[in-house]
Amino acid sequence: MTFEEIGKRFGNRSVLAGVSGQLRPGVVLVVTGPNGAGKSTLLNILSGLIPPSRGVVSYQDGGSELPRERWFSVLGVVAPDMAMYEELSALENLRLFTRLRGLPSSDASLASLLSELGLAPREHHRPVAMYSSGMKQRVKLAQAIVHAPPVLLLDEPSSNLDAAGHELVAALLARQRASTAIAVATNDPREIAWGDEEIELAG
Amino acid sequence: MLAEALAVLAKELRSELRSRVALNAILLFALTTLVAVAYQIGPYRIHEEDRPHLLAALLWIILFFAATSGLARVFVKEEDAHTAKTLRLAARAGAVFAGKFAFNVVLLGTLEIVVVPLFCVLLGYRVAGPSNLVLLLAAGTVALAAVATMVAAIISRASGSGTLFAVLTVPLALPLLVMLIQGTRAAAGSAELAAVLPALRGIVSLAGVTLVSSVFLFPVVWHD
Repeated sequence: MTFEEIGKRFGNRSVLAGVSGQLRPGVVLVVTGPNGAGKSTLLNILSGLIPPSRGVVSYQDGGSELPRERWFSVLGVVAPDMAMYEELSALENLRLFTRLRGLPSSDASLASLLSELGLAPREHHRPVAMYSSGMKQRVKLAQAIVHAPPVLLLDEPSSNLDAAGHELVAALLARQRASTAIAVATNDPREIAWGDEEIELAG
Repeated sequence: MLAEALAVLAKELRSELRSRVALNAILLFALTTLVAVAYQIGPYRIHEEDRPHLLAALLWIILFFAATSGLARVFVKEEDAHTAKTLRLAARAGAVFAGKFAFNVVLLGTLEIVVVPLFCVLLGYRVAGPSNLVLLLAAGTVALAAVATMVAAIISRASGSGTLFAVLTVPLALPLLVMLIQGTRAAAGSAELAAVLPALRGIVSLAGVTLVSSVFLFPVVWHD
């Protein structure tokens, strides 16, 4: 995925100006900058959720450009302003997201993914509303990778997680990085350390 | 697309059965209004010649305003609970609209199954053509659900979305309500299909126009 000269204005306020870069497998791109610098806005633009005021984002799939309406099929996203369905259990949430993406999946494989991310089996069937914020973050991570997307956009991925959770995310990224293009928006020094390349946004 | 839409519908049904927020809102509104109307008017306080007109109007007023108290939730709750972004990234717009529309049809259908028989009993409403009334209710459910789902999508990100939903839905649904009332009045007076056919045609046309325009409009609203 490449993005060139991305700019974004909200009314008279310019949030991003001329940001360019590339996401490719094997390289973790870290986006840093003070609060309000536009880290989350940049990730929202890269995921196609909001249009840039100027500049271009393009996804390449085997040499041809992927149409915007198909971006979601190659994307896994974690962000603080995303939530899971609280009336549903973690397993039901994952089942929903695999069905929405038209993927076959067994409950055993979904449960195994949740366990990998540190959710004990007894928690899999409880409604997400009963989870702590750290447990909810683990379910969010699971929904982002359940379809094995080739592009991962992670906005503060280990927020709300304890030290063990942070280690889990680090291990997850280490496993995914060879086959996945990854961008991480963060100000956490531990997450910045995962990066191979960095874009520092001015405040 | 059908499997995705069914997944959205199943999610809506499961969430609603566990929270019962929309169901409680519309049923409580409908039953309160129905009891108040039945208590004040009852089966005998309207002249015989006025009954078909007034009772048809009262039935649809109760159904419509009860429905407006719950149908907007399909999209408003996604924004309020911050799940809209997750859903936008996972599902195609068409599947989201189809699933939410189907859920509103189920919700409205449930409301009618409870309210219409009670209305007939409490207000002594005799319908000469019950099958015609069922046809009208079915067509009206589809049309009202289509209008409500599209308006709910438009207003979901606005502040004061509840008020905005009623303000936008009433003018859009008014021609539909007029046809539904006329059709219901005709169904009460005659068992012939021909009696309700003009209203039925109008309702089906309106539902069709709303659904077709939603197919083009919804992806823009959903991703904007």
